Amino acid sequence: MSDVETRFHRFKDLPSTQLLGTGTPMCAGCGGLQALHEIYDVLGEKTVFVNAAGCMTLLSVYPFTPFRGSWLYTAMASAPAGAQGVRDALDILLEQERMPPEEDLRVVVLTGDGAAYGMGLSATSGAIERGLDFLYIVYDNEGYGNTGQQYSGATPHAARTATSRMGGGFRGDKKDLFDIWVAHRPAYAATVIGAEPLDLARKVERAMAIKGPKLILALAPCPTGWDFDPKLTVDIGRLAVRTGIWPLKEYVDGRVVHSKTPHPRKPVKEYLSLQGRFAHLFEPQRNAAELTRMQAKVDEYWADPAT
Amino acid sequence: MSRVLLTGNGAAAWGARLARVDYVPAFPITPQTEIIESLASWIDGGEMRGRLVTLESEHSMLTAAGAAAATGVRVFSATSSQGLLYAMEMLYTVAGWRTPFVLVNVSRGLSAPITLEPDHNDVLAARDSGFLQIHCADCQEVLDSVLIAYRLAEDSRVRQPVLVNLDGFYLSFTREPVTVPGPDEVDDFLPAFDAESIAFRASAPESQAVAVLGGGPYSYFRYETHLALLNGLTVYDEVAADFAERFGRAHPAVEAYRCDDAEIVLLMMGSFATKARAAVDNLRDAGQRVGLLRPRLLRPFPAHSLVAQLVGKRGVAVIDQNISMGKGGVLHAEVASVLYGHKDAPLLVSFVGGLGGRDISPEEFFEMVKVVAAAAQRGEAPPPRLLYTEDELREIRKLQTLAHVERNSLGEG
Amino acid sequence: MYRIRFHGRGGQGMKTASRILGSALFAEGFEVQDAPRYGAERRGAPIFAYVRADRRPINERGIIRRPDLVVVADDTLIPVPAAGVLAGLDAYSVLLIHSHESADTWRRRLNTPARVLVLPLIEESADRADLPYVGAVCAGAAACLLGVISEDALATALRDELGPLGEAVVQRNLDKALAAYRQMVEVCGVVTEGREANAADYTPPEWISLAFEGANVSAPVIHAGLTSSAVKTGLWRTLRPVIDYDRCGRCWWVCSSLCPDGAIQVEEGRPTIDYDHCKGCLVCVAVCPPHAIEAQPERTAESLETPK
Repeated sequence: MSDVETRFHRFKDLPSTQLLGTGTPMCAGCGGLQALHEIYDVLGEKTVFVNAAGCMTLLSVYPFTPFRGSWLYTAMASAPAGAQGVRDALDILLEQERMPPEEDLRVVVLTGDGAAYGMGLSATSGAIERGLDFLYIVYDNEGYGNTGQQYSGATPHAARTATSRMGGGFRGDKKDLFDIWVAHRPAYAATVIGAEPLDLARKVERAMAIKGPKLILALAPCPTGWDFDPKLTVDIGRLAVRTGIWPLKEYVDGRVVHSKTPHPRKPVKEYLSLQGRFAHLFEPQRNAAELTRMQAKVDEYWADPAT
Repeated sequence: MSRVLLTGNGAAAWGARLARVDYVPAFPITPQTEIIESLASWIDGGEMRGRLVTLESEHSMLTAAGAAAATGVRVFSATSSQGLLYAMEMLYTVAGWRTPFVLVNVSRGLSAPITLEPDHNDVLAARDSGFLQIHCADCQEVLDSVLIAYRLAEDSRVRQPVLVNLDGFYLSFTREPVTVPGPDEVDDFLPAFDAESIAFRASAPESQAVAVLGGGPYSYFRYETHLALLNGLTVYDEVAADFAERFGRAHPAVEAYRCDDAEIVLLMMGSFATKARAAVDNLRDAGQRVGLLRPRLLRPFPAHSLVAQLVGKRGVAVIDQNISMGKGGVLHAEVASVLYGHKDAPLLVSFVGGLGGRDISPEEFFEMVKVVAAAAQRGEAPPPRLLYTEDELREIRKLQTLAHVERNSLGEG
Repeated sequence: MYRIRFHGRGGQGMKTASRILGSALFAEGFEVQDAPRYGAERRGAPIFAYVRADRRPINERGIIRRPDLVVVADDTLIPVPAAGVLAGLDAYSVLLIHSHESADTWRRRLNTPARVLVLPLIEESADRADLPYVGAVCAGAAACLLGVISEDALATALRDELGPLGEAVVQRNLDKALAAYRQMVEVCGVVTEGREANAADYTPPEWISLAFEGANVSAPVIHAGLTSSAVKTGLWRTLRPVIDYDRCGRCWWVCSSLCPDGAIQVEEGRPTIDYDHCKGCLVCVAVCPPHAIEAQPERTAESLETPK
């Protein structure tokens, strides 16, 4: 791994000023907003966010914006194409000296999992194959949160959603967006979570030093959609890492490396039991068979985690 | 300045080249592809400055076009038919961003059944999007319209994207003599893009295209866009007059051909209108007082010019190369709405013809005039008529037999 | 107005012919329109291109219904109904056929009111789709028949259209085009400008009112399989694969399995080529292990065919 000298060694190295403004309409305890403000603090204000439809569409509602920098709302399917247009236009202006270099901006796509795992995949794949210099931030709350948490391509097995309310919850498995990116051989890809801000800051810092398509995939604990008390957002986030359900890793220089290996791993039931969407696994009867299968899946991943 | 043979696609590409566009987001589709191929080869060969990027869909192409325009560069793009519809969400979206650029559409009938030849249902699906629409009748007009479109789009009274339409095959692949103006002449007419406040810059944060809550603010923004398009009428007239003065070619919002003393008028859009022009000449030779009206601007709709031309005429054949399912010809409804309530409004007769590139023969134009004259005499319009002959029904019956459509369920014919 | 149609096969350069003629007329001061008709534009398949020219701006568009001149680059297309070579010809039209056979032969055979002329086919090619310089040759002959195009204008137009292919190619094409032009000198100017439509005396269109029919009839649905066999793609073929059964190894599968069109059937180990549908790609010739399949020019093969 190309170990860039990091400025983030300890918690107190993290930025103490909050760049993202208050007053947004995100839910109390939003794990996505938590990750976004941590990312923004590292990225800085010389950014233009190109947004895909999702919860965070509502960050900028006329006449209010929490961004110190710029923003462009596009549509659900094509935010990476919007990033392409802005990046290309900025490059043209720089090349032709119609804009001084200090006016340049980092182009950042901001998308939820609904667009990232589904409708927006083709535009994302296209932007990566064209080698677009952009950062792609996903706040992954594992469902179409803005419309009431229906299942999306990111919904995990057994989670109850607004469209898989009964029985054993969602029958499929969570799609692996990180691997889909890695299959494109991008410049950089990483998973992060707001509950681990030091790890997050280092990854954003590393991504900023690399040109090309870069993924920051943030698991976003969602009190509203996952049905838990908002004060538990950080606990649930940490448990996602410590149970091994959300591996923190990065792809750089053609290799996948885990930035944190939980040891010993906590049982997955500790993560699941805190969330209403998984309550049916514990009440009225404990679904031991399903819990065993879900634990086995995680164990299987960590038996050979480098792939 | 030189006069050369160019296809409609070639003329569109020359328009973009002379407009010195900075950025061309692209996606191939028949019959448009030649436009982006020409631009790509000029850019690759160093004959033209600019950047061409092939996106992975028309939806993304329009997104990139709007985003680059919102960053402050001059943008050109082109599509056709299914591609325009695939991009439809973004047509409406970027029109709301209030950023200027030019999109060329090469008209082609819509699926299903899928086809390659032209009619106007594709471009009419974008009628209400907030793009201004210029419809061309020949290859010269295509080149000229691209230049006029940039002036129109970038005017501060408008600041909207403009769609320039040309018909597939009949213009896209057809060579005609086209006068290509010199770059200096064009630079004088169309100066470099002054993006003014349209920008993303580190020193000047901006949130563009943000959401609104509530119908009040929404109504304000939407109606302002409508007013910007209406301003387009005046701005178009000014720009077209300036163009005519500099280049000697007049492209009024509504072409009126031999209309002054006409009793019967043919009214239609696009390249098939030149066939109507030929028919008008033939009819005049036979002593009939017939003219042609051709709206070049469809949005904004040149209501005043049309009313001024039509009031006092006896009858009008409105020939729609499109069909609104369950209603009929779109142009017929639009013209009827602006004539409503006018004393001495002419009788309108609706014809639908030229769907999917189906030819319209000189004899059919003669016959339409005859039908309209008789209807005006009676004071009553006949039902709308599809231009479709017995021969064509026989042909489809033959095809249906080969397709094993049950014989006993086929009608007579 | 002059209205000219060029008929040929995909690959024979009909678009080039129409462009050379269009550019030559333009160089002579005419207003011009030229266009290829794209469709199932495949090598060997029938295609056409057209040119209009007038001293006044041209308002007419689209395909030409009543041509003043039809040029046929490949005489094997004339009997093919789908090619529509003879459509719209009348007593005022000229039909120029690029052919080995005489004008008299064609006049007897065709029973057309048009004046029939022949441009002798000097060079033959085994593969008609590769007939050399045919686009330039047809444009050159047509230029002379119109009587309003000088050799210089023809040369300029040819250079404009073929210039990017290099001087050697231009020169060879130019020689052929000028030779064809000179072969027509005796009938120079035989083509006259066509008449305009007459609004005082015309045949009204036979319009009908289309009636409703249920979707079982009126939806674009084919209610059966395998209907494409009604399309005789054998007409595209310019070279014909012929099996020498003395050498055929009865391997039972190679030619048949690898034929892209499934046009080779095998019964009891004996392959048979379906010439109604074989497009003449010659994959079978290339893959046959004992080299038992030979390519023959379609014209000669056709004449050797024994009548049923």
